[in-house]
Amino acid sequence: MSYETLINLLNEMASDFMFLDGAEIDVPAAGKFMNHLDKIAGKAAEANVDHVREVTTGLNILLEKIIFDTLQDKGAGLSVLGEGISLLQSIVDGYTNSGRYDGNIHIFADKISSLTGVPGVKTGDANDLPATSDSVEKATVPTEEAAGAEINAVEKANIPAAEENQMQDESLLRDFIAEGLEYIEEIEINILNLEKNPEDKDYINAIFRPFHSIKGVASFLNLDQIRDLAHNLESLLDKARNGELEIKPPVIDVVLDGADALKTLIGQVRDKLEGRIGKPLDLDISSLVERIKNVEKGGGEPSRTKKIGEILLEDGHLTRQSLEEGLKIAETFPNKKLGETLINEGKVTTRQVSQALRKQAEQVTDTSSIRVDTRKLDDLIDMVGELVINQSMVQEDLKNQVNADRNLVRDMSQLFRITSGLQGISTSLRMVPIKQTFQRMSRLVRDLAKNSSKVVNVELLGEETEIDRNMVDEIYNPLVHMVRNSVDHGLEKPEDRIKAGKPEGGLIRLKAYHRGGSVVIEISDDGKGLDKEKILGKAIKNGVVATGEGLSEQDIYRMIFLPGLSTAEKVTDVSGRGVGMDVVRRAVEKLRGKIDIDCVPGKGTTFSAGFPLTMAIIDGMIVKVGSQYYILPTTAIRQALRPRKEDYNNVVGKGEMISVMGKLLPLVRMYSLFGIQPERENPWDAIVLVVEGENRSKCLLVDEIIGKTEVVIKSLGNGLGKIKGVSGGAILGDGRIGLILDTEGIFELSETVGSIN
Amino acid sequence: MEKNIKILVVDDFATMRKVVRNLLKQAGYENIVEAEDGVTALRVLKSQKVDFIISDWNMPNMTGIELLKAVRADDDMAKMPFLMVTAEALQDNVIAAVKAGVSNYIVKPFTSEILNEKIVKIMEKIG
Repeated sequence: MSYETLINLLNEMASDFMFLDGAEIDVPAAGKFMNHLDKIAGKAAEANVDHVREVTTGLNILLEKIIFDTLQDKGAGLSVLGEGISLLQSIVDGYTNSGRYDGNIHIFADKISSLTGVPGVKTGDANDLPATSDSVEKATVPTEEAAGAEINAVEKANIPAAEENQMQDESLLRDFIAEGLEYIEEIEINILNLEKNPEDKDYINAIFRPFHSIKGVASFLNLDQIRDLAHNLESLLDKARNGELEIKPPVIDVVLDGADALKTLIGQVRDKLEGRIGKPLDLDISSLVERIKNVEKGGGEPSRTKKIGEILLEDGHLTRQSLEEGLKIAETFPNKKLGETLINEGKVTTRQVSQALRKQAEQVTDTSSIRVDTRKLDDLIDMVGELVINQSMVQEDLKNQVNADRNLVRDMSQLFRITSGLQGISTSLRMVPIKQTFQRMSRLVRDLAKNSSKVVNVELLGEETEIDRNMVDEIYNPLVHMVRNSVDHGLEKPEDRIKAGKPEGGLIRLKAYHRGGSVVIEISDDGKGLDKEKILGKAIKNGVVATGEGLSEQDIYRMIFLPGLSTAEKVTDVSGRGVGMDVVRRAVEKLRGKIDIDCVPGKGTTFSAGFPLTMAIIDGMIVKVGSQYYILPTTAIRQALRPRKEDYNNVVGKGEMISVMGKLLPLVRMYSLFGIQPERENPWDAIVLVVEGENRSKCLLVDEIIGKTEVVIKSLGNGLGKIKGVSGGAILGDGRIGLILDTEGIFELSETVGSIN
Repeated sequence: MEKNIKILVVDDFATMRKVVRNLLKQAGYENIVEAEDGVTALRVLKSQKVDFIISDWNMPNMTGIELLKAVRADDDMAKMPFLMVTAEALQDNVIAAVKAGVSNYIVKPFTSEILNEKIVKIMEKIG
C-alpha cells in the first residue's frame, strides 16, 4: 500500500505551518488547516491508517478554540499544532516503513485535553469516534442559553455611552418597525403555507430567516424582549429545519402566537417612539417563551384538556395507585388506550370510562369558538333564505285579506323582524376578513418586484373588511392579474422614477372597503399612469372608435378593458402570457363584479373592482316572457329599450338584427328559445334588453320588465343536471319560481338554434 | 490605515444594512455600497471594484456562505477580504465559513470598535 498521497497532504500542511513562521493562527489560516485535516483524515481512513483520526480530531478541536478565541494560551496552541503535524508525519512514516505505528499518541491527546479543557479526546479505536466527537461538540459549542448570556455580557460591557446614541437612532428604529412588521406578515403567510406542507424546508427557512433578522437588528437596538422572543422562535425553527422537530399543530400555533407577540412588541416600540402612551402590555412573554421551549423539547403544548386518567381519579372511580398500575400496563401496549387497559384490568367499568370520555369531549368544545363544516353552514344559510321568502309570502297573502286578524298582523311583523335578523346573522357567519388575500398579494408584490428589479413598497388598507368565504378563492385570480399589471406596467423602473423626481421605491396600495352591497378592492400604483394617446391610437386602429372626439379621459382609459387594447410594449415574464385587462374584466364580471379605472398621468393608476359580498345572492332584473318569469343578472344588462320599427332589420346571412346606438346587434327571441307562447311578438311592441356576454352583445326579446330584486340563488337540483342557458332558480317575492339566466349560455343556445334553422 | 476602502455590505434586512453602515461611518469608513442578497452582491462585484465585503449569513436566494464560495471561486477575488456576520448560536456555520475561506467573522451585536478592529486586522494581513 502506498501512502504517497497522504505524505504529500501532510507535507503541504507542514509547509503551510512553516509559513506561519511563529505568527498567530488567524481565521483564514485556521480554515486552511482544517481543510488539510479533513483531507488527511479522509485519506488515512481510506488507507486504513490508525491513530490519524484521533490526532486530526484533537487538532480540529484546537483550531475551533482558536477560531472562537477561547484558547487561553495561544503560544502553546501554535506549538501543539506543530507537534500534531509532526506526530501525523511519524504515524504515516511508521506505516510506510513497517505497515504500522508503534508510538504512543496518548501524550499528545493529553496535551490537547489540558490545553483545550476538552476531556475525552480518546485514543481508542475508530469505532469510538462518533461518540467522542459528539461529546466534544457538546463541550465546545456553548448551549444556546450560555451563548445568549455571553452576548448579554458582551453587549452590556462593550457598548459605550456614545454608541447608545446611535443605537437609539430614531430613524433606525422606524426602519426596524416598518421592516420588522413586514417580515412578520411574511412569516404569517409562510406559516400557513407550512401548515399545508409541513415537510417543505423552504417554508421553514422562509420563516426562520425573518425571525433571525429581527433578532439580529433587535440586538443592536437594545430591544431585549424582542430579541429574546425572536431568538427562542428562531432556535425552535432551527430544530425543525434540521429535522429534529416535526412540524405539528402545536409548533404552528406557538410560532403564530410568537409572531403576534412580536407584532405587539414592535407596535409598543412604535407607540413609545411617537410619544404615545402605549396600551399596557397584556402579554406574558415569559410564559410564551416557556411554551416555545416546551414545544421545542417535543413536549407539545401543555394540554388544556384533562387526561382520561385524571378524570376517573377525580370522579373517585379510581385510586392513584391503580391508575399508575394501569399506566404502566398501557405503556407496554402502546396501541391500546388507557381506558381500554383499565377496563381489561377490571379497575373501572366500561360505563365509567365512557362517562369520563364524554366529560373530556365537553372540555375540548368548551371554548369561545367552534369549527363547523362549511356545508352545514351553507345549508343553514339556504334554509334561512327560504324562511325569509316564505315569510314574505305569508305577509303578502295577509295583505290581500281584507279582514285580516289584527293580532296575526302584529305577530307577523314581529316574525318579520326576527327573520331578517336571522338572515343578517346567517350571512355574516360565512364572512371572513380579506386580510389573508391581501397578505398573499403583498407577498406576490415582493416576489414580482424582485423579478423585475424594481423597489416596491406595499400598503394594505382595510384588511379587516369582510367578504364571503366562497368569494375569497374566486377573487384571487383577477386580483393577481391586477397586481401583476400594476407592478409590471404601472410602476416605472427605479432609474426612471428618480428621473421623474419620485422616490426610487414605488408604492402599491391595496385597499378594501364596503360600498352598498359590495366589497370594493382598489389596487393603486404611483407610477407613470396610462398613455392616453397610445390607447386611443390603438382603439382607432382596431376600429373601436373612429375618432377621439367626444370621449372623456375616463372613457379612453376604460378602453384598456377592451380586447386587444393592452398597451404594454413588451410581453414580460411578470404580466405577459397574453393576459390583458380585458381578460381581467371578464373574470371580474363573471363574478358579477365591476371593474373601473382611474388615472392621473404621472401620478399613478388605480384599478377598482367591486365584487358582490356573496355569490349566494344575486342582484337581478325580473323579466316576463309569456307567463314565465326569468331573472337576468343586472351586471350583464347594458340597456333596456323598446326599439322603433325601423331599427329592426333582417340581415341576409346574419338573421334578425336590432340597431342600437348605431350598431347592429343580433336579436334573440326568448320565447322561441324556450318554446313559450309570448304576449308580444314584435320587438317594437315588446322590450329588448341589450345583454353582454363574454365577448359580444346581443338583444334579448322579452315581453316586459317586472322589476329589480335581490334573490337567493338555488340550484335546480341534481335531478335536472346542467341546463344550458339557466344557471339556477329563485323563489320570487310572490312565491313564483323564476329561472336565473346565464347570458353566455343563452348566446350559445341562440347560435346553435340559429344554425339548425 | 486607509479608510477610503470601498466596503460592500450584504444583508437582506434593510435596517441591518443601515446599522452596519452607521457603525462603519462611526469608524470612519465612508465609501460603502449595499446589496440585499448574494445574487445582487455578485452583480455589484462585477460592475465595480470593491475592497472589502461584509456579508450576513442568512439570506434568501443565496446565503452568505454561497456568496463566499462564489467569491473565492473567482480568481480575481480569491483574496478578497470577506467578513461574515453571524448570530451566536450557529457555530457550525462559522466553522463552515472558515473552511470556505472567510477572512474573519463577527457576532451580532457588535460595536463600531470591534468592527473596525476586525477590518483593520484583515486589511493588515493583505498588506
